[in-house]
Amino acid sequence: MLTQLHNVEQSLNQVILGKSSQIRLALCCLLAEGHLLLEDLPGMGKTTLAHALANSLGLSYRRVQFTSDLLPGDLVGMNIYDARSQQFRFQAGPVFSQVLLADEINRASPKTQSALLEAMEEKQVSVDGETRALPTPFFVIATQNPLFHAGTSALPESQLDRFMFRLSLGFPDHQAEHQLLQRDSSTSRLELLTEQLNTGQLRVLQQQVPKVAASDALIDYLLALVNSSRHRSDMLPLSPRASKAILRAAKAFALINQRDYVTAADVQQVFPYVAEHRLAPSSDAQESRLSQLLLLQTPCPI
Amino acid sequence: MLTQQMLQQKNLLLSWAAIQFSLLLLLQQAFAGWVIAIFALLLLYRLLSVFRAKAAISLKLVNVLAGIIAITFFLQLQQAGVLHFMLQILLLAATARLLALQHLYEARQLVWVHYFLIACCFILHQDMLIAVFILLVFAVNLYSHYRLFSPSVSQVNWSQTGRSLLIILPLWLAMFLLFPRLPPFWQIPNANIASTGLSDTLDPGSIEQLVQDDSLAFRVEFDGALPPRQQLYWRARLYEDFDGRRWQVNALRQNASRQRAADTATDSSLSYRIIAEASQQTGLFALATPVSSSSNVFISPSGLLSSNKPVSQRLSYQVSSSLAPVTLVAEQEQLLNLRTAPGNPQTQQFAYQLKQQYPQSHDLVQALAEHFRQQPFYYSLTPPPLGSNSIDAFLFDSRTGFCSHYASASAVILRHAGIAARVVGGYQGGNWHPQQGYLAVRQREAHAWVEYLHNGVWQPFDPTAAVAPERILDSLDSALPEAQRALLDPGWRQLAILQNVRQQLMHLDYYWSVWVLGFDDTSQRQLWRNLYRHLPAIAYSVAALFSIIIVLLLYYRLTQSGTDNTPQATKQLYRYMGKALATKPPSLPVSAFLLQCAKRYPAHDVCLKQLTALYEQALYKEDAEALNQLKQLLKCHKAELGRLRRAIKNA
Repeated sequence: MLTQLHNVEQSLNQVILGKSSQIRLALCCLLAEGHLLLEDLPGMGKTTLAHALANSLGLSYRRVQFTSDLLPGDLVGMNIYDARSQQFRFQAGPVFSQVLLADEINRASPKTQSALLEAMEEKQVSVDGETRALPTPFFVIATQNPLFHAGTSALPESQLDRFMFRLSLGFPDHQAEHQLLQRDSSTSRLELLTEQLNTGQLRVLQQQVPKVAASDALIDYLLALVNSSRHRSDMLPLSPRASKAILRAAKAFALINQRDYVTAADVQQVFPYVAEHRLAPSSDAQESRLSQLLLLQTPCPI
Repeated sequence: MLTQQMLQQKNLLLSWAAIQFSLLLLLQQAFAGWVIAIFALLLLYRLLSVFRAKAAISLKLVNVLAGIIAITFFLQLQQAGVLHFMLQILLLAATARLLALQHLYEARQLVWVHYFLIACCFILHQDMLIAVFILLVFAVNLYSHYRLFSPSVSQVNWSQTGRSLLIILPLWLAMFLLFPRLPPFWQIPNANIASTGLSDTLDPGSIEQLVQDDSLAFRVEFDGALPPRQQLYWRARLYEDFDGRRWQVNALRQNASRQRAADTATDSSLSYRIIAEASQQTGLFALATPVSSSSNVFISPSGLLSSNKPVSQRLSYQVSSSLAPVTLVAEQEQLLNLRTAPGNPQTQQFAYQLKQQYPQSHDLVQALAEHFRQQPFYYSLTPPPLGSNSIDAFLFDSRTGFCSHYASASAVILRHAGIAARVVGGYQGGNWHPQQGYLAVRQREAHAWVEYLHNGVWQPFDPTAAVAPERILDSLDSALPEAQRALLDPGWRQLAILQNVRQQLMHLDYYWSVWVLGFDDTSQRQLWRNLYRHLPAIAYSVAALFSIIIVLLLYYRLTQSGTDNTPQATKQLYRYMGKALATKPPSLPVSAFLLQCAKRYPAHDVCLKQLTALYEQALYKEDAEALNQLKQLLKCHKAELGRLRRAIKNA
């Protein structure tokens, strides 16, 4: 099944050019059953990435453009009176899909934001006292404009925490952009993407992640890394939830790299993307200064 | 390149230049003046080139220069002596190396040569203050050494430096205490330094000049209590030839046989140790009649002490003295001291009168003392100049003089009266420091008195005691009138604080000479004997100490192993590649480092990749089988890993 996963990766690389490491990290986030926050300027390919992911994994895909007047009901759905059957019928919102692209999440009101984040955490929604489970897998890709853009309300720290990864695609390099311009249209490429891995197989892969071995020495190193962020005034401390997320992400990363054990290098690879937005919510996703600092200051004896 | 970066560092070059400059100062005895000037200029040039960031002088020029200087050194080898020649060549090599320093290994050589040269300074200097200075130079060299080897260019780890010094301290002490005191392998050349202290000639004015010198002549520790001041007549010279004006040491005495006197007298009521300062003379000091001494000094039959070569370094010796006066050695000695010089008619007249009045020599001396006491004689540091008949002029005209005048006049009178008499030069009294327990005798205490023959023994007679008893009972200062005291002390010496500092330094210097310089083979043998006597106790305490240390170590190990959770695989790797892994950036994982090495050293690529794979398996999967394989792989590739380690270390 890992081969199929790599096929997915390859086809994604053909759609989004020159961003192989971000694609691998996005897949890693999917395998670790986490949610992904993409922080970038408009037009960098965030939507394309989300769409391509859904297509190549054969997942149902919905996209919601968040605006300031978007209401929670618009997202999760609502009970509507059906005049014919004279009954209330639940009209499911876009949240009932396997891949949800929440575009420009920081434009929505906090109320709507928290409705989405609750769904992400609980994997279920409650409407009028009735609890409905969300489909599995449930994978949210939220995009966010950098905060200096007008008309945005920042996600609070507690909610940023719900996203396992924060990535930034960044500008493509010269060669990639050249290639991009030569091609006729990327949307056509998107449609060419076929299902390489079905939902059942993805499920199996996701279940393999916790089984990846993490030795005592490695966990000690991870704890040392996390601990170094505590008792410091220049950053927020990393919570146990964060350390859990780091380990899970590292395991998924090891799995993608065809290993059944986590190495310290895996931890170091995923750490900036898992930790930076928890250390400094308003930081720039591009540079991940604080997490690099922690990596550099924590000795790795193994 | 890293090495280039290090060599570019200004403070390293600066400290080396400073070290060489101080070495030049310390070893200046070994160099002619023009060589010192050239060396100083070269060092100065080097300093300038450091600050102007110019490149070093071309190697060829340095070689030619060094060659020329070396040839001149060689031509002067006969004059300078082998030791000086070696020091010259070594310092020349170091300076030339500093001028044309290019590689790291050259810098390492330089540091080691500096160590050797610094140690050589102790051949020429044993003074406490200079020793402190040498230690300072040593510390600078050590600092540069650390700087050279420290991985981070930015700073030297001072706590580590301190710790390494602490570790070396017991070894250093043990070497000092236990290392055999070997005789020097080379002849230490005599320095061309003017001798100090009493000379072989006693002019009317020579002692007046000497007492204006405040420097130390020698120190004395008494085994018993301090004898009364009236007994503290330190004999150093016998003046027996008189030419009518000045006294001289007899030629026979100058070449006196160096045989040691037999220990005939059994009465040795005084035992003391003298630490003589360097005087560049052979003559030493003793009280009354010395009967026995330590092996490094000789006792002449006339009771004078001497060493077999000029005292160029501080010399310590033990003496036992009998308080009885010195006995007559031979008939010849009596005849020698009856000779009179022509001139001084009034004195001759006076002597005959005395002789007629007092036929007994003892009575005559008493009468002479009474004469000095009754008549208006004055004790003065600045006596008026005397004419050609100096004794006449002093006795009957000026009546003002210093101890040498009184001693000289008394001896002349006694000789004219037919009593064998001679002038003794030496020191009288001294400064007693009760807390430190030693008597400091300075040049200021220089004194002259008379010995006359009476019943076969040389009776001492001090005419100064009759004129100025305070000089004997207290000190020179109290014997002189107020106006003349200022002559003894230049203005700055009268400052109380400076006086105090000088005093304290002198005490420190005393301990230095007793405990450090005085620790010779005798004291070392004594130490061994003491150690031997307390052998069981020492053995028990050493055993106890060791067992405590071992228990502590074991405890430490046990508690450590509780908390030390370094995995087995990592431990194995560190066992074989510890030094290579020490160069790993701390935050880099071990396997990533190994892969980096594999990329950098393609020769070891296969081995390292295999190693990394097994290591990851053993560490991250906690796979026991992989761990065993890792152990075997490490064992098999021991030699290859050794090569890799060296390659990484030298990089």
